[in-house]
Amino acid sequence: MPSLRSIYKKRFEVALEPVAKNIENDLKDILMNLNNIDRIVARTKSIDRFLVKADKSENGKKKYSDPINQIQDQIGGRIITFYIEDVELISKEVLKYYREIERKRLIPESESEFGYVGNHFILLINDELIPEGVPKSLVPKFFELQVKTLFQHAFSEASHDLAYKPSSQLTKEQKRRVAFTAAQAWGADMVLSDLSKEIFFKG
Amino acid sequence: MKIKTIHSYLVHPEKSLDEKTTIKGTEIEHTGDMFKMLEGIFIKAPVECNCDIAFLPKEDGTQENEVRNLILDYIKTGDFNKGGLIANRLQAITTNRSGLGLFFLILGIEKRSKRIVLSRFPADTGILAEESSGVLSVEFVERIFMKSAKAYKSAYYEGTSIDADFWTGKAIDKQINNDMAISDYWIKEFLLSDFATTGERGTKRYATALKNAINTCNDFEIKDELTAVLKIAKNLNGKLISPASVSKRLNLSQPAETAIRNQLKPTLYTEQFKLVLSELNKIIAFKSVELDNGAYLSAQANEFDSVFQTSDEKGGKMSFFTTGKIINEKVRKTKA
Repeated sequence: MPSLRSIYKKRFEVALEPVAKNIENDLKDILMNLNNIDRIVARTKSIDRFLVKADKSENGKKKYSDPINQIQDQIGGRIITFYIEDVELISKEVLKYYREIERKRLIPESESEFGYVGNHFILLINDELIPEGVPKSLVPKFFELQVKTLFQHAFSEASHDLAYKPSSQLTKEQKRRVAFTAAQAWGADMVLSDLSKEIFFKG
Repeated sequence: MKIKTIHSYLVHPEKSLDEKTTIKGTEIEHTGDMFKMLEGIFIKAPVECNCDIAFLPKEDGTQENEVRNLILDYIKTGDFNKGGLIANRLQAITTNRSGLGLFFLILGIEKRSKRIVLSRFPADTGILAEESSGVLSVEFVERIFMKSAKAYKSAYYEGTSIDADFWTGKAIDKQINNDMAISDYWIKEFLLSDFATTGERGTKRYATALKNAINTCNDFEIKDELTAVLKIAKNLNGKLISPASVSKRLNLSQPAETAIRNQLKPTLYTEQFKLVLSELNKIIAFKSVELDNGAYLSAQANEFDSVFQTSDEKGGKMSFFTTGKIINEKVRKTKA
């Protein structure tokens, strides 16, 4: 019985890299006429990160009984935009071309919450994005796509290690500081949005 | 793959009724002609169901679908009552227009792989003639199913992981051809699903294939034929099509069909989607400029400015320059 590492390694080398490249190019193509996009990338989950995730536990039980099929972010796409308004605009455009099975729009609901990570989707990988010669059995059915502003991206990247690792049990004071940073990022997005409206639409 | 169970349920049209009929059903024996016919549907499903579909998430975006959950519950156990819940759902969305139907759930298992086929046969009418003791009695019967055994709706799902698979499947409606009705009743309302390929994605792919086929074709007659496809395709806005179905409908010549087919992966040539005209125009749009001296310039919109260079002249006039090899020349009665 091959190990999970060897199964994922084969998938990683044969299928994930070329499919991720195609997804990235496809996203760039369909969003070609939209402005205010800082970057569009699609990356594969590294073998080590995949194995760490596959080994995760929840309520004392293994979170994934069939990680190779259950982990849906083996390919992760990210679209980073300048202004908060563009997150919805871009998301809407992407959904014209990709079928979703999950959609989360995460915004801070109160000043005490520290989640500020933008839009998140789980999308079907269309056959068209699988290069000739890559066996379909090695390609995951879905990939994850995040659409964020620069500040949402900065906050989620920086806070990810601090807040979501089980080893780091944050104190109340630390949680307050993370929440403060989220609020700062949210505030910066609001100000940039107002400024862009003032300068581009009234100027 | 070996069939594990077949359950059948009589489904009434009760979409707008408050009081629902209790679903009645039965298990089908694994012998006889009926089993053979259903086994045929089960085996042929992956080839016969030609419309790729995907379950949609809940309205709030959660990765969950009510019908998928019902189907998964049935797959896990093969339980008759769990199947009845799926039949109940079909009954609750069936209108009088669709009428009474006989619904089958065919479940197969092989090692880790599981396949489920859902099929609905419409009720038909007929006359039953019976001869006994030299007397013929005739009776009008309203509950005849599978009169031709070819007019049915079907969907099939296959996978190994209950948690992760069964999000996508395939469907067919053998009662209709090239009609959006399959998407409304069978795919959207019953299965809470949609076509796996969005209209924009399918149209973009098809338009790009047509454009590339036109651009790479050296035979003028085939080029003309392909350009005609483009013009006719514009009349198919909102229709369910596949590149193959359009080629067939327009009775394209073999070389023209091959020119399109060569631009697509084999599985994508037959994949169905809803044509979106705005997307088609985005990919293949022609820009034309007419001058007061009678000249008429035309090129693909996104290439027009690189194909023709311009310079401003006196009196608001413009000069256009282009250099190329003549590959086709025609005299026509009209400009178009």
